[in-house]
Amino acid sequence: MSNQRQLFQKLFEDNSKKVYHLCYGYTGDSDSANDLMQETFIKVWQNLDKFRNQSQFSTWIYRIAVNTCLSYLRTAKRRATDELNDNIIENYTEEPTEKHEQVALLYKSIAQLEENERIIITMVLDEVPYPEIAEIAGISEGNLRVKIHRIKHKLTEIYNSNERV
Amino acid sequence: MKGFDEIQQLWQGQKPEPNVSFETVLKHIKSDRTSLAKKLFWQSMAVGAAIILLLWMCIAVDFSTWTTYLALAIMVGCISYYFFTQLDDYRNISNSGHLLSKPQDYINYLKAFQQKRNRFNTRNYAIYEACIAVAFALYGIEMYFVLPFWTFIGSVIFIVFWFLICHFVFMKQYISNENARIAEMIGNLERIKGQFRDR
Repeated sequence: MSNQRQLFQKLFEDNSKKVYHLCYGYTGDSDSANDLMQETFIKVWQNLDKFRNQSQFSTWIYRIAVNTCLSYLRTAKRRATDELNDNIIENYTEEPTEKHEQVALLYKSIAQLEENERIIITMVLDEVPYPEIAEIAGISEGNLRVKIHRIKHKLTEIYNSNERV
Repeated sequence: MKGFDEIQQLWQGQKPEPNVSFETVLKHIKSDRTSLAKKLFWQSMAVGAAIILLLWMCIAVDFSTWTTYLALAIMVGCISYYFFTQLDDYRNISNSGHLLSKPQDYINYLKAFQQKRNRFNTRNYAIYEACIAVAFALYGIEMYFVLPFWTFIGSVIFIVFWFLICHFVFMKQYISNENARIAEMIGNLERIKGQFRDR
């Protein structure tokens, strides 16, 4: 039990930030991202005994996080993008520096992508290796590279057009 | 005008950080397990009490017609069916093995699960309602011999009226809401499944 707790604590410390970014990119608001991150780690704890060393711990945790985000649809009615974007801006109102505004704009741009694009791009931005992303998303590496190329282009365009507004 | 590399630098220097600590997650794990166990415990107790009450009625009360015993048996069957189906669904949803599947397979599982729940809440509920109506009708045969005639007629009218309201107002409304909700959910799952297709 105490070994399991130590392992869990280490997994939490090593991965919670990245999982949070994935959830934030997916949902577009910090409260839901915190809830989804918490839900992900509860499932990680419940499934620790099922980990078979076939992949890295981080890949395994990301897979759980991605599926948890996908099941978010079951419980939450999707809100209109405008409302979602207002929420992102609100989260940055404490200290509205230029950089915070740019990050808020980046999240707003990610929110305008399709669901799987949001998931893939947040992992790319967090520098998760391509083979790992392919394994998490359950697609071939070749296909992933094509997708990433397209998503990078799309995100850059959306970001720049949002910046011009 | 920014390039992707600048966007990536912006991302890596971002401020948003989770405000859920390790201790909070552990605390939640403990309380979660307890609340699910409690919910299942109280549900089992309620169903157990209802079944015991019905069985006690079978033994302690001397009903004069066999139709009443049949009515009680139908009631016990309906309650048990409802309870075991709920229990099975709890087990299914907490069987987190599916969580480790590829996203596309996971979405398929969610879709199948939602459709099963929808069938349970609509078609199976209609069968459940019909069985309860039959049980009341069978019990009515005994009441015909026991109750004064006009009291019996009054009770029958009240029960029939109540069943008609449940079936044509509440049930219709419930099924239409449930179908709309499930259609939206399945639509969303189909859309996301398409995005994960390996092509």
